[in-house]
Amino acid sequence: MSTLWSDLVTYADPLMEGLWVSLQLTFMTLGLGLPGGLVLAIAAASRSRAIGMVATTLVELGRGTPVLVLLLLVYNGIPLTLPAFVAAFIALAISTAAYSSEIIRGGLQAVPEDEVEAGQALGMSRAHVLRDVIVPQGLRIAMPPLVGFCIIMFQATSLAYVIAVRELTAQAKSIANETFHYFNLFLLAGALYAALSISASVLNQRAEKRLNRHA
Amino acid sequence: MTNLGTGNPAIRLENVEKSFGDHVVLQNVSLSVGAGQVFALIGPSGAGKSTLLRCINLLERPTSGSITVDGVTIQTDHTIKPKELAALRSRVGMVFQSFNLFPHMTVLRNIALPQQRVLGRSRADAEDRAHALLGRVGLADKASQYPARCSGGQQQRIAIARALALDPKVMLFDEPTSALDPELGLEVLTVMRELADEGMTMVVVTHEMQFARDVSDHLVVMSDGGILEEGDPHDIFSGPRHARTRQFLRAVVDRQ
Ligand SMILES: Nc1ncnc2c1ncn2[C@@H]1O[C@H](COP(=O)(O)OP(=O)(O)OP(=O)(O)O)[C@@H](O)[C@H]1O
Ligand SMILES: [Mg+2]
Repeated sequence: MSTLWSDLVTYADPLMEGLWVSLQLTFMTLGLGLPGGLVLAIAAASRSRAIGMVATTLVELGRGTPVLVLLLLVYNGIPLTLPAFVAAFIALAISTAAYSSEIIRGGLQAVPEDEVEAGQALGMSRAHVLRDVIVPQGLRIAMPPLVGFCIIMFQATSLAYVIAVRELTAQAKSIANETFHYFNLFLLAGALYAALSISASVLNQRAEKRLNRHA
Repeated sequence: MTNLGTGNPAIRLENVEKSFGDHVVLQNVSLSVGAGQVFALIGPSGAGKSTLLRCINLLERPTSGSITVDGVTIQTDHTIKPKELAALRSRVGMVFQSFNLFPHMTVLRNIALPQQRVLGRSRADAEDRAHALLGRVGLADKASQYPARCSGGQQQRIAIARALALDPKVMLFDEPTSALDPELGLEVLTVMRELADEGMTMVVVTHEMQFARDVSDHLVVMSDGGILEEGDPHDIFSGPRHARTRQFLRAVVDRQ
């Protein structure tokens, strides 16, 4: 126990650096992946069959391929040599876009058709109905599962350690390799992931309650 | 009162047909609504009243026939260009049974946003207009509320204001009061009566026989996808020509 405490004190700095990289990776992944998911969700519902098919195929491929394989593919598989961090964020963003598009599509579909008709009857274009009526409400409906999914993606950034991104898991592993305190270091890393994930999900639940109160 | 054939009608339907798959819902319906006329459309459930109304602004695409509103003609068996559709819909306002306000916007934004998007009005102009119309339907104090905080009668009056804000030439109402308690329905009927008095061309699908008799100046009775008879409301109420009309009127009067 005392070694756990002393490991925490001794290695707080490199662990926090790793956590910071994990968070940066998470935010960049979500920053690219969630808009991508929205675009795929809208495209999948397109009136054009071709666009719909392309979007659906991309989503199925993205969801069908394990994140770990995507990471290795983008980092090692393509002729272009990308920095590990960039490769990680692209691979994770692809996966995020594919999974979140399904969640967002569910939200968009839950917007009542009556409101869409009202917009059409008012003479609003399809694009305006989408932008002003369907997307804002669909995203609000999709928000709780979407935030839950973002927390999962934060944890999935730990996979980036296999391509040597210096995020939290990689930091813990490299310290443990030198000190052989594997148990302590992974316990500390796990506690940091859990602390952030649980806080985010508590905040999510509070926000959800507040939204429902005004609905 | 019927001015069929005189001048240019505000709405003219010619041989409108509509089927859903094999199911023929409208057969050969022709109708002419003069500017400023108030048409009431009545008939048993499933007669095709809503479908006919929804064909006028092409929420439902007729299988064949033509639709003219204020000089804009759509031949429905051709492909309809987005421009034609926009021209038609800009002339037609519609009020639904279930109000269909946008729940994520304030009452003010519900009325202002379509003006900005459809007519390109500035936000300030659109909101000025929205305030003015809210005053007119007696809801000046509701501007910053969300629709869910308003009663059904208030929501329906907001929906009427939202449609009027786009300066339509004709207004369509599909059972605007049937989701409301009688008392709240009265608020809505009062606004509609004012609108009729101001000369708005209106087509109203209704189960309110009193409105049909007292406010409308032309009554259309529909049954099985066609027009059974039409004419002066008082004449039809006092002496329906068709047995089917008589039967329907007796049934509604008994219910009320
Ligand atoms: N989208 C649709 N798909 C298939 N059938 C439909 C559709 N909309 C309407 N119908 C059918 O068309 C017929 C006419 O329906 P419509 O809603 O126009 O009747 P209505 O006169 O408005 O009746 P109500 O008084 O009950 O509102 C009905 O048989 C209905 O089942
Ligand atoms: Mg109906």
